[in-house]
Amino acid sequence: MRLLLVEDHVPLADELISTLGRQGYAIDWLADGRDAIHQGTTEPYDLIVLDLGLPGIPGLEVLQKWRASGLSTPVLILTARASWAERIEGLKAGADDYLTKPFHPEELQLRLQSLLRRVRGLANQPKLEASGLHLDEGRQCVSRDDEEIQLTSAEFRLLRYFMLHPGQILSKSHLAEHLYDGENERDSNVIEVHVNHLRRKLGRAVVETRRGQGYRFAGTGE
Amino acid sequence: MKSIQRRLSLGLVSVLLIVGLVLAQISLWLFEIGLQRYLESGLRNESESLLVALVRGPDGLELDEHRLSPGYLRPYSGHYFRVDFAQGHWRSRSLWDVELPYPGQPGLHADLALEKTNQSLLLLHTDYRKFGQTISITVAQDYTPVRDSFALVQRIGLGLGLMALVLILVLQRVTVRRALRPLDRAREQIFQLQQGQRSQLDDRVPVELEPLVAQINHLLAHTEDSLKRSRNALGNLGHALKTPLAVLMSLAEGDKLTEHPHVRATLRDQLQHIQQRLERELNRARLSGDALPGARFDCTAEVPGLLDTLRMIHGEHLDLRCEMAEGLSLPWDREDILELLGNVMDNACKWADSLVILAITPAGEGYCLMIDDDGPGIPSQHRDEVLGRGNRLDEQVTGHGLGLGIVKDIVEAWGGQIQLLDSPMGGLQVRIDLPERHSPQLSASEGVPPLT
Repeated sequence: MRLLLVEDHVPLADELISTLGRQGYAIDWLADGRDAIHQGTTEPYDLIVLDLGLPGIPGLEVLQKWRASGLSTPVLILTARASWAERIEGLKAGADDYLTKPFHPEELQLRLQSLLRRVRGLANQPKLEASGLHLDEGRQCVSRDDEEIQLTSAEFRLLRYFMLHPGQILSKSHLAEHLYDGENERDSNVIEVHVNHLRRKLGRAVVETRRGQGYRFAGTGE
Repeated sequence: MKSIQRRLSLGLVSVLLIVGLVLAQISLWLFEIGLQRYLESGLRNESESLLVALVRGPDGLELDEHRLSPGYLRPYSGHYFRVDFAQGHWRSRSLWDVELPYPGQPGLHADLALEKTNQSLLLLHTDYRKFGQTISITVAQDYTPVRDSFALVQRIGLGLGLMALVLILVLQRVTVRRALRPLDRAREQIFQLQQGQRSQLDDRVPVELEPLVAQINHLLAHTEDSLKRSRNALGNLGHALKTPLAVLMSLAEGDKLTEHPHVRATLRDQLQHIQQRLERELNRARLSGDALPGARFDCTAEVPGLLDTLRMIHGEHLDLRCEMAEGLSLPWDREDILELLGNVMDNACKWADSLVILAITPAGEGYCLMIDDDGPGIPSQHRDEVLGRGNRLDEQVTGHGLGLGIVKDIVEAWGGQIQLLDSPMGGLQVRIDLPERHSPQLSASEGVPPLT
C-alpha cells in the first residue's frame, strides 16, 4: 500500500513514518501543500493522510484541488481542528475520514484499514478476507482453515495488496509502484521473489501468473 | 419608561384643554360685558324718556301715560320701571303684583331676580332732579333670553372645542406615529436580531437615529470579528498543543518503552488527562454563548451535512434520521449548535446498534432537541454520574463521558436543561430543552459556569 503523508510537523511525521512503516505501508512524506497538490495527482497512491494546517496552502484547499482534478484516492484528514463545523467542512471538501489530534496510533491504524476496505467495497470486518484466506493486519499473519501462517513484512504487504484486489490482474510494475515508496529502488525481481515466497507458504495456486500480463490473486477456495 | 407617544399626547391634551378653556371663558366674559354696556345705553334712553314723560300736573307730578312704551303695560313683559319721588312712587303696569328689587346704589345692576317669575333682571337706577325735587328712576329689562342664548353659545363652543381637541389628537397621533416609524422599525429589527433573523440593523434611518444604529452595527461587527479572531487563536493554540501531544502519544505506544511498562502506563495516563482537559477547555472557550444576537442555525441546510459526517465517521451501517419541520432555524450560533449536536449524536452513534434519530421541535417558549438511539442505554443510577459536575466520574465512563460534558457546558451557557431518559427505541434518549433567547442583558449574566 502506498501512502502519501502530508504533515508539516517533523517529529510527528517521523513518528508516523516509523509506525505506519511497520504496518507495511510504503510512505512518501511531504510537508508543503503546494508539493502535495502536484505529487498527489501524479503518483499512484492508495491512501493519503492530510494535515489541515499546512504551510504554503491550507490543507482543505489542497483537498479541494485534488478532488476538482478527479483524484479519487481515499483521504484521511489528520488535524488538531476538532470542532464539528470544521469536520463538516472537511467532509464537504471531499475527505473520507477525519481524525483529530492527539490520537492513539492504534486508532489511526484501524481507521486506515477500514478506509482501504471501504474503498474496495468490502464490509467492515476486523480481518481482511478473500478467497478462503483471513489476513490479520494487526499481527501481520494469515490464517487458512484455522491454520495460522506467519509472514514477513514484505510478504504481508504483497498479500494485503493482492487480497484488496482479488481477481484483478496486477502487473509487476503496478505492484512495485504501489508497494514501494518513491525513494526505494523498484526492482521487479524483488516482486517475483516475494510472490514465490507466498506460493511456498500458501500453495502454488494462491497467485496465478499470466504470462506477459502479470499476477492474479486466486486464493485457495475456488 | 413611558412611551414617547403617550407622553406627547398627554402634554398636548393638557395644554390644549387649559388654554382652550381659559380663552373661551375670557372671551365669553368680555362679550357679556360689552353686551351689558350696549343694553345699559338702551336702558338709559328708557330712563330718560320716562323723565321726559314726567309732567307737572294739577296735583303735582304726573306721568304722561301716552308717552310710555307698550312694553310697560303688558304684565311681566320683561320691561319694568319704578319712579320714586318725595310724595310717593309709580310702578309700571307690567310689574303687576310684584315689587321691583331695590338696588340702593345708582348705576347698572345685573342678575337681580324678579320674585314670582324666573326672570333675571338687568336694572339701571338713576337719580335726577326735575321741578326742584329728586326723582329716582329705576328701569329694568328681562335678561333671561340673553343669558339663555349665552348658555347655548357656551355649549356649542364647548362641543366645537371638544371636537377640535379630538381632531387635533388624532392628527397628532398620526404625525407622531409617522415621525416615530423609524424608531419602531429599529425596535422591530432589534427584535429580529434577537430572534436571529438578521445580523445587522438597516442603516437607512433618519439623521437622529444614525449614530445609534451605526454604533449597534459596529458593535455587532466587532463582536463577530473578535469571536472569529479568538476562535482562530484557539484553533492555532489547539494545533500547537495537540500536534506535539500526538507525537508523545505515539511515542508512548512505541517499542522503545516496552521495557518500562510503568513509565508507559504513567505517560499514557497523564497524556490522556492532558488531552481531555485540553479538549474540554478549548471547547468551552470556543463557545460564543449569547455574545452574538444575530446568530442563527439553519437546520434544513446544516443538519444533513452533520449526518453525512457522522455516517462517514461511524460507517454506513447506521441509519441516521432527522425529524424536524422544513425551514426550522434555531437562534444560536451555528458552530455552537453543530458542536452540541455533533457531540450528542457522535455519542449516540458510538452506542447505537443500527438507528439514531434526531428530533428538533419548537416547544412553547423554546426548543426541544431529542436524540434517541437503540443501543444499550445507561442504567438510571449511572446517569447522574455521566452528567455530574464531578468530571472525574465523567471521565471514567468511557464514550459517554467527555462529549456529554461539553454538551452540558453548552446547554448550561444557554440556560437550558439536559436530561438522560429511556428511549422508546430501547437505548438512551438525550433530551435537551433550550429556552427562547431573551434580551442580551438578561442572559449575559449567566456565563459559562466555572469548572470545579
